Amino acid sequence: MISMRKSMKKFGAAALAMLFTVTAAGCGGGSTSTQGGTAAGGTAKIGVVSYLSGGGAAYGEAIRQGLELARDEINAKGKVKIELVIEDSKGEKNEAINATNKLIHKDNVVAIVGPTLSGEMFAVGPIASQAGVSIMGTSTTAEGITDIGNTVFRNSLPESLAIPPAVKKAKEKFGLKKVAIMYSNNNDFAVSGFKTFEKAIKENGMEIVTTETFADKDTDFSAQLTKIASLQPDAIMVAGLYQEAALILKKAREIGLNVPVVGNNGFNSPQLIKAAGSAAEGAIVASPWYPGKDDATVKNFIAAYKAKYNKEPDQFAAQAYDALYIIADALEKAGTTSDVKKVRDSLAAVKDFHGVTGNFAFDANRNPAMDVTVLIVKDGKFTELK
Amino acid sequence: MDQWLNPYYLQIVMFMLINAMLGISIYFTLATGQLSLGNAGFMSVGAYTSALLSLKAGLPLYLSIPAGGVAACVLAAVIGIPATRLQGIYLAIATLGFGEVVRVIILNMKVTNGALGLSGIPALSVQIGKQLNSLGLGSGLGGITVQQLSNLSVIGLLALVVIFLVFFALRLRHSRLGRAFAAIKDDEHAAEVTGVDTVRYKLLAFFMSAFVAGIAGALAAHITFYIGPKDFSYHRAVEILLFAVLGGGNVIWGPLLGAGILTLLPELLRTVADYREMIYGGILVIMMIFRPQGLISEETLRLWRSKLFPAAKTEQEAVARRSAG
Amino acid sequence: MLLQQVVNGLTLGSTYAIIALGYTLIFGVLNIVNMAHGEIFMIGAFVGLMLVTKLQTGIFTALAGAMLTGAVLGYLLERIALRPLRRREVSHLAPLISTIGVSIFLESLALKIFGPQAQSFPPVFSGQLFELGTLKISIIQIVILAVSFGLMIALRFWLAKTKMGKSIRATAENLETAGLLGVNTSQVIIVTVMLASGLGSVAGVLVGLAFNAVEPTMGITMGFKGLAVLILGGLGNITGAMVGGLLLGIAEVFSVAYGESSYREAVAFGLIIILLFIRPQGLFGSGSAQGGR
Repeated sequence: MISMRKSMKKFGAAALAMLFTVTAAGCGGGSTSTQGGTAAGGTAKIGVVSYLSGGGAAYGEAIRQGLELARDEINAKGKVKIELVIEDSKGEKNEAINATNKLIHKDNVVAIVGPTLSGEMFAVGPIASQAGVSIMGTSTTAEGITDIGNTVFRNSLPESLAIPPAVKKAKEKFGLKKVAIMYSNNNDFAVSGFKTFEKAIKENGMEIVTTETFADKDTDFSAQLTKIASLQPDAIMVAGLYQEAALILKKAREIGLNVPVVGNNGFNSPQLIKAAGSAAEGAIVASPWYPGKDDATVKNFIAAYKAKYNKEPDQFAAQAYDALYIIADALEKAGTTSDVKKVRDSLAAVKDFHGVTGNFAFDANRNPAMDVTVLIVKDGKFTELK
Repeated sequence: MDQWLNPYYLQIVMFMLINAMLGISIYFTLATGQLSLGNAGFMSVGAYTSALLSLKAGLPLYLSIPAGGVAACVLAAVIGIPATRLQGIYLAIATLGFGEVVRVIILNMKVTNGALGLSGIPALSVQIGKQLNSLGLGSGLGGITVQQLSNLSVIGLLALVVIFLVFFALRLRHSRLGRAFAAIKDDEHAAEVTGVDTVRYKLLAFFMSAFVAGIAGALAAHITFYIGPKDFSYHRAVEILLFAVLGGGNVIWGPLLGAGILTLLPELLRTVADYREMIYGGILVIMMIFRPQGLISEETLRLWRSKLFPAAKTEQEAVARRSAG
Repeated sequence: MLLQQVVNGLTLGSTYAIIALGYTLIFGVLNIVNMAHGEIFMIGAFVGLMLVTKLQTGIFTALAGAMLTGAVLGYLLERIALRPLRRREVSHLAPLISTIGVSIFLESLALKIFGPQAQSFPPVFSGQLFELGTLKISIIQIVILAVSFGLMIALRFWLAKTKMGKSIRATAENLETAGLLGVNTSQVIIVTVMLASGLGSVAGVLVGLAFNAVEPTMGITMGFKGLAVLILGGLGNITGAMVGGLLLGIAEVFSVAYGESSYREAVAFGLIIILLFIRPQGLFGSGSAQGGR
C-alpha cells in the first residue's frame, strides 16, 4: 500500500513534468520548417544549417529570417521554386556535421546555405566537398574557408577586405596616432578580425597601446576599459559581435572614454544602435551592407523584412537574403533542380549579380568580390563616413 | 542495404562509438566512487596532441593517436596526485574547473591557433581509403563504394577499441584490482583500514580514465577534420557524465547504452527541431524520477541473466558464494 | 586607476556573491548543487524586464514580480525534480542530473518565449552615475552591494534566531533526526528552495540592471561563477559565499588590470584548484572534505 502510494506520487510528479514539457512546447508559436511538398517537379531543395539555439541564436535566427523572406519572394516570382530544409547546429561542430550529412544524404538537397560559424564550416566543408554539393557560408569570414574544397563558397565579405578600409579612413579622418584593441578571444570570427586589425594598424603606422580580450557573453567590461582609459588612446578598435560591442560602447562612454570606436563586421547591425543608444555615436564599421543606401533593391528588402518580422534587418539577414537569390540565379541558369554538379558550376560562374549588399561576383577562389562602404553612427543611424 | 550505408547513419554510428569510449572513461573513475568531470579536458589534450603531431610533425595516425592518450595521462599525473585527495562534489567541481583551465590555455596558445582551432586534420577515413586504393579496391567491393568501405573500416576500428575496453572492464571487475576499486567505492575508510592502498588505486583509476578520454579525443579529431576549443567546453563534460548517469554508472553496459541513446536522441528529435532541447531536458528529469540508478543496474543484469539462462543461475550463485567466502 | 579597479572588482564580486547565496542556501539544507539556479536567475531577469518594459511598472513592482515568479519556479522545481528523488538508496548524482535537465528545459523555454536577442532595461533605471573625485560608481552597483550584504546579514539572523531558521538548520544537520524531533522537514525544504529561487530571481533583475543585458544564456555564464564561489567559500557557508564572491570579482578584475585579460576566464577555476589543494574544505568550510556524499 505504502509503496503504491509512493509510486502514485512519483507518477504525479512525472506527469507534471511531462505536462510542462508539452505545454511549453505548445506555446512556442508555429514556426515550423518547410516540410511540405517533396521535391516534386521543379522544386529545388536547399538545405540550411544555422545556429538556431544556444549562445549565438540571435545571429542564426537573423540568417533564417533573411532566407525565408527570400524564399517566399523567389517562389512568388515563380521562375524557380525553392524549398528550404532547415537544421539547427546549436553552434556545435558535431551537430553541424550530423545536420550536413542528413541534408546531403537523406534529404538529397542540391545546395546548402550555412553553417553560421567558421569553425563549423571547417568541419562540414570537407563533407559537402566530398559529396560534390555546393555549400555557401553567409557569415563565415575566417581566412582559408574556401580553400577547403571547390564546392565551398561564401558571400560574406572576408575581414581582410572590410577592416583595412575602416582603419585607414578612421586614421585620415580623426588623425589617430595610438590606439587600443579589444577582441573576443573565444570567438573565431573575432580572433581573425583582431589579426586583421593588428596588421592594418601597423600598416597605417599607428601605435598599439594595449590589447585586451573578453569573451562572448561577457557583460562586464569595466576592468578592461578602465585600463584602456588610463592609457589614453585616440581610438579603440574592437573585434566582436554586436551584443558585446553595444555593452562595450555603453561602458566606455559611461567612464568618459569618448573616443571613436572602430569595429569589424560584427558591429554592422541596427541592434548595436538600439542596444547602445546614444553611446553608439562615433562607432565606425566598413561593410558592403548599408541600409541607408539609395537603391531600390535595398529599400524593398528593408520594407519587406520590416513588414514580415517587425524589425530592422541586419547584415546577417541581408547576406543570407542575397545568398538565396544568388543560388536561385544559379539554379535558373543551370536549368536543373537536382544536378549538384551543374549547380556548382553555375554558381561559380555567377557575376554581375545585384543584391542588397551591392554588386556581387565570385572570384576565382569562390570568395565574394564586392565594394565596401565605411559607415559611422551619427544621430542614431549608420551614415557614410566621407 | 545501400540505404543503411548512408554516410549520415555511418557518421552517427562513429559518434556513438566515440561517445561510448568517453562513457567508459568516466566509468573507470566512477568504479572507485570518484566523480571526475575532467574528461572533456583530457579529451581535448588527446585531440590537440594527436592533431598537432599529425598535422605539423607529419606523424602517422597509428602513432599520433596513442600519443594523444599518453599526453592526457601525463597531464592526469600532474593534477591527479592532489586531486585524489578530494572527494564528492569538491572533486567534481575541481575537475570541471581543470577542464575550463585547459580550455582557456588552448585558447591562448599560438600552436593551437586559439579560437580559430585546427582545420584540415588528416582524416582517418581518407587514410584508410588510400590504403584500400593501394590494395586495388579503388572501385569498391561488391557494390559498396570505396568511400563506404573506408567509413565502414573506421567504424570497425572504433568498434574494436570499444570491444577491447568493454572486455578489459569486465575482466577488471573480477580481478584483484577491480575488487580494490569496489571496496573503495563502498567505503573508503573501511578499505583503507583493511589495507587497501586507496591513493594508489584511485590514482590508477584516474589515469585509466584520462588515457581512454585522450584516445577518444584523438580519434574524434581524426574523424571530424576540425577541432576548436569550443568542442571541449563545460557542455561536453556534462554530456559525458550524462552517458554514465542515464545508462547506469555501476556496470560497464550502462555508459554504453547511455552514449548510444544520447547520441541518437538529438537526431531523432530533429523532426521537432524547435522543441528538441526542451524535450531533452524533460526526459532527463523524468528519467531521474523513475530510474535514478540509470537504465541498467546490477539488478537488471541479474534479472535478465536469470531469464535468459536459467540453467546458469546455480553456477552464478556458486561463484558469488566463492568470492564472498 | 587602482581604486577604480577595486570598485569594479567589488561590484562584479557582489553580483557573484548574490548568486552564490542561492546555491549555498540550497546546498546547506539539501546537500545538493542546484544546477538550475542560474536559469531561475535568468527567468527572474526576464520577468523583471517584461514588467518594466511591457507593463510599464516601477522597478520595485518588477523586483517583487520577479521574486514571486522565482518562488513559484522554486516550488515547482522542488515538487517535480527534487522531492521524487529524496528516497533511500538514490545516488547523489540523481538530483544533479535532474536539475541539469530543468536548466536545459528553462533555457530553451526562455529562448522560445523571449527570443535569443540580448535585451536591456530602459536607461532610466541604470543610468545614474555617482562621482567621487575621479571615481565613478553607478547607483545600481551600490544597490547590488547593499542588497547582497543586507541579504547575507538577514539570512544569518533568520537562520540563527527564528523558529523557521532553526528548523532549517536542524534539517541541514540531519534530515531524519530533524523529522523525528518534530520538524516538518518537507515544509522546511520547500521554504528553502522557494526562498533561494526567489532571491535568485531578484539577483537576476539587479544584474540585468547593472550590466544592461538580459538574454537566455546568461544563466549558464553567471551560474558557473556562482558555482565557483560556492566551492571557494566553502559549501553551505553564507559568509563564505559573500567573501568568496567579492574575492573572485576582485581577482578577475585584477587579472585584467595587471595581468593578461585573456586568462580572466581561467581565474575562477584556477583559484579553486589552488585553494582546494591547500585547503580542501574551502575558505570558510569546516570539518572534512566529504562534500556532497
